[in-house]
Amino acid sequence: MAIRKSVILGALALAGVSLFGLSAKAEDVKLTLWSLDKDTQPAPTLVKEFNDQHNGITIEYRLIQFDDVVTEAMRAYATGQAPDIIAVDNPEHALFSSRGAFLDISDMIKSSKVIKPENYFPGPLKSVEWDGKYFGVPKATNTIALYYNKDMFKAKGLDPNKPPQTWDELVEDARKLTDPAKNVYGLAFSAKANEEGTFQFLPWAQMGGGSYEHINADGAVKALEVWKTIMDEKLASPDTLTRGQWDSTGTFNSGNAAMAISGPWELDRMMKEAKFDWGVTLLPVPKEGAERSSAMGDFNWAIFSTSKHPAEAFKALEYFASQDDKMFKNFGQLPARSDITIPATGQPLKDAALKVFIEQLKYAKPRGPHPQWPKISKAIQDAIQAALTGQMSAKDALDQAADKIKAVLG
Amino acid sequence: MRRILSSVRDGRGFDIVLVAFPLGFLFLMAGLPLIYNVVMSFQEVDMFSLGTFSRPWVGFKNYTDLFAQPETLPILYNTAIFVVGSIAGQFLIGFGLALFFWVNFPGASWLRGLFLVSWVMPGLVVGAIWNWILSGDFGVLNFILKESGIISGNIFWRSDPHYSLYAVIIANVWLGTSFNMILLSVGLSGIPGDLYEAAELDGATAWQRFWTITLPMMRSTIGAIIALGLIFTLQQFDLFAAITSGGPNNSSNVTQYWAWDLSFRQYDFAKGATISVIMIVFVMFASVVYVRSTRHEVRG
Repeated sequence: MAIRKSVILGALALAGVSLFGLSAKAEDVKLTLWSLDKDTQPAPTLVKEFNDQHNGITIEYRLIQFDDVVTEAMRAYATGQAPDIIAVDNPEHALFSSRGAFLDISDMIKSSKVIKPENYFPGPLKSVEWDGKYFGVPKATNTIALYYNKDMFKAKGLDPNKPPQTWDELVEDARKLTDPAKNVYGLAFSAKANEEGTFQFLPWAQMGGGSYEHINADGAVKALEVWKTIMDEKLASPDTLTRGQWDSTGTFNSGNAAMAISGPWELDRMMKEAKFDWGVTLLPVPKEGAERSSAMGDFNWAIFSTSKHPAEAFKALEYFASQDDKMFKNFGQLPARSDITIPATGQPLKDAALKVFIEQLKYAKPRGPHPQWPKISKAIQDAIQAALTGQMSAKDALDQAADKIKAVLG
Repeated sequence: MRRILSSVRDGRGFDIVLVAFPLGFLFLMAGLPLIYNVVMSFQEVDMFSLGTFSRPWVGFKNYTDLFAQPETLPILYNTAIFVVGSIAGQFLIGFGLALFFWVNFPGASWLRGLFLVSWVMPGLVVGAIWNWILSGDFGVLNFILKESGIISGNIFWRSDPHYSLYAVIIANVWLGTSFNMILLSVGLSGIPGDLYEAAELDGATAWQRFWTITLPMMRSTIGAIIALGLIFTLQQFDLFAAITSGGPNNSSNVTQYWAWDLSFRQYDFAKGATISVIMIVFVMFASVVYVRSTRHEVRG
């Protein structure tokens, strides 16, 4: 009996000691965070800063490649090994939220002093919403606008301070600027059969009164016809059909295109490569006074619903959001915040461009949000390509896309 | 126990072990994924049910849906053109080169080895290089064709639906030719020289010797190489990803690229698996041809 008692006591003591020891060791809550940002980009830098605060939470960072973000995250979630925090591309966000893979953080946001919905641009904010609740926080944002080569405008007798404002003006100017003898196309953009094609076309459809639910609206058909005119008259390189935005804008930088439709991610490279005077203007609209629209890109933060430390994870997101004001200066990315005034960089071309992009962001609309976005996007890409290669009329192609999208929406 | 042990030693049991080992290996590494793939093609699969086996069973719905899509038949047709075009190009040029090096001039074997450079290069690198060569506005190929007066305006190899598939075929022919050449060279060197001497004494012309000695003696090699070519071209994925991404408007899309696009871009894993099953049927056919043609190689 006595022996037994002492054994139990001993066991208890041991358990107590080991518990104590463990709790001392596990003082820091460990979180894992996945993102596609490389060393010099926001996520790993912010994680490092956060860890250096030693506030009892340590974040472990893992880099994943752009193409693998969704598949890796899904696989991890399905096998119960999902990270606590992830950065996910905004059109994919709804896929996770709708299936309960992401945590509903509406209540946390309500009581947060740092993250306030009213401080965000409406477009990015909408992309983290599902069913009226918030399932994440916008990480950064971007949009597209029209870059133009002022020197070429002058050379062709156009006013370099009057870039095209409507679709007709855009086509008209592109005609004047196109110069096959000098290997110059009027416009560079991307109609590639991937998400980039949808990203570039959807704003045009939206300006024409369409949307992904009504992709065959008259204005959207008109938009695709304008694209077709541009391609048929060789105002843009035929390779537009297979070239992404980065490569297309490269031809603008090298002086082989007079205008280019792309986003702020081009700014740093353009500052270095473009040996001419250039400017940025808002995306042309169907006609004067028409509703503006633009694309909305970039990633969102989200917390997985399987996280064991949601409160700590949210604290990390709060810290990231508190550093949004330094994002443009340090990383050249735009915060998704309307309450932050980005300080001037001292480079006049960049500052002027920035002003236009911030203005354009007000009209940026998310793609979706819809859990089956990749299928909707594919239908739109197919329509663009079928029309531009002349295999279908713009109307027929978009009608077909509308049917496919209707089948997806159910 | 003793009987089992002795049977392992006396041969019968040992034979069984010998057979069981590769069979087990094949079943684990090839059989199970294959079966998994076939099962998936009869299920409804999305990203969230990817980790489990209990998924809704939909029968042949994936197959009927697939063939109801307007792009399915053109893509199958493209695949056929790609396979036939690639194999024909690779084989004819490869055979020509093999015969050329067979003449055995000084440095022939050394030069022949150098040709293998194209074969050891990764497909994505080859694709990126051909991407530049085939580029419409500033491509090297267009420059050469224009300077030599063959074409007057630029051909947009990657973006013109009439050319895009052939752009990939050209790159694939370049990639696979040297492999064909090496295998055919090996086949050629296996033909006994006295056959030719005898034929020459009988007064056979070079042309007759080629048709009556070289080709018949090469039969099994050629069968094997075409079957292997079929398998390799049906596996060719990198070039599509690097050069055209299957575009424009699916004009250069083939089943293997499409399966990937459906699975990993649109997350429709069931359809991707369905296409793979259809491809398996073709590859099985090629494998049978391959096995049958190599069987003749065992000569007494």
